[in-house]
Amino acid sequence: MAKWRINNVRMAGVSACVPEKVVATEDIPLMTAEEAEVFNNTVGIRRRHIAPDSVCASDMCQKAAETLLEELGWERESIDVLIFESVTGDYRTPPTSCILQDRMGLPDTTFCLDMPMGCCGCLYAITVGSNLLTTGNVRRALLLIGDTALRMGSMKDKSRVPLFGDCGTAIALEYDPSAPEIVVDFHTLGKGYKALMTPHGGFRHPAGPESFVEEDFGNGIVRAPYHTLINGMDVFSFAISRPPKSVAQFMEAEEIDKDQDVDYFLIHQANKMIVDRVVKKLKLPLEKVPYNLEEYGNLGGASIPSLMVTRLRDELTSAPRHLLMSSFGLGLSWATMSATFGPMVIPPLQYI
Amino acid sequence: MTNMENLNKYNEIFTEVFGVKPEALDANFSKENVESWDSVHQLNLVTLAEETFDVMLDPEDILAFTSYEAGKEILRRQDVEL
Repeated sequence: MAKWRINNVRMAGVSACVPEKVVATEDIPLMTAEEAEVFNNTVGIRRRHIAPDSVCASDMCQKAAETLLEELGWERESIDVLIFESVTGDYRTPPTSCILQDRMGLPDTTFCLDMPMGCCGCLYAITVGSNLLTTGNVRRALLLIGDTALRMGSMKDKSRVPLFGDCGTAIALEYDPSAPEIVVDFHTLGKGYKALMTPHGGFRHPAGPESFVEEDFGNGIVRAPYHTLINGMDVFSFAISRPPKSVAQFMEAEEIDKDQDVDYFLIHQANKMIVDRVVKKLKLPLEKVPYNLEEYGNLGGASIPSLMVTRLRDELTSAPRHLLMSSFGLGLSWATMSATFGPMVIPPLQYI
Repeated sequence: MTNMENLNKYNEIFTEVFGVKPEALDANFSKENVESWDSVHQLNLVTLAEETFDVMLDPEDILAFTSYEAGKEILRRQDVEL
């Protein structure tokens, strides 16, 4: 059973960086005005920040991290662990975390690790980073979480283009014996892996000429095997069933009263239909469930840290807050985390 | 709730989602035979069924909720008397 109770680790800060360019749904060439209106009202993603091709996830994460280090007053020499969580790294090899170690001027004693875990990525990164710190053998970790997911797919795929925004985030973790316990559990449904995948370009199906041949699947979906796909019905049925069930079981096992014990529920901002249904199923108090998908779209693994920066900055910089976090995505994978974070350093949202 | 009350509520879900009269609901009312039965209608059905009977269905059940009769079977497995 993949459940951890992690002690001695505090979240010292979090920051986020988005591209300056904002694209409204109405401005997406694939959508008619009527379709854009329906999309805005149902899926709920009205705008998203989109990076130019010259900007990678690592660039946004780097800016977020350097701003955070400056505000924390942490010397770069003090960073022991650097985790880069993304499905859109700079190259297939080497690991982008190693490149970032050099670009950010971190010491050669830094332990670097890439993790490509998708929308659950933040909770994976916190779990791995915290477990590395918990014994006190290493003291400080930077978790860089971000994606440029739009560019993974076909620009002619109406089922995918309007969903994603680009963002890079940074989380600072520190060994602290007085820190409250972090509790997290993970689940995996590997048999559902085809619901979210990029068929060609790996070693099962290396990219060849056939990888770039586009096919019209109807309903405004034109893509090639090299493009990332979403099987909407499979993803939707998964997202509205397994994660809320796990959250309910988690709260029962941990004796968490959703009305009394939790300050905020941070739900992965996949889209409004999914988040609304998760909220409704769990009967969560709406005032405790911040949304930012209407302004930023689905940010993959960066979704939860972006909520902290864009919606809970005042709350988390001023006092400890008990957060109940739920994320779900690639794999298929899903996780629930309970943690009390704050007060912490949160710089204003950065732009690139 | 009695079986009849549950059945009435189950039928109301279909009449609300598809805008049909209860008489239209029979063994032939399925994804194959109902032109308007698309993924959005199916998800609306599932959502209403979950709310009405206070159950949480698995992804396999949500995907298999493709007919009036199949929905009944799925809910019976959740101990809903229909």
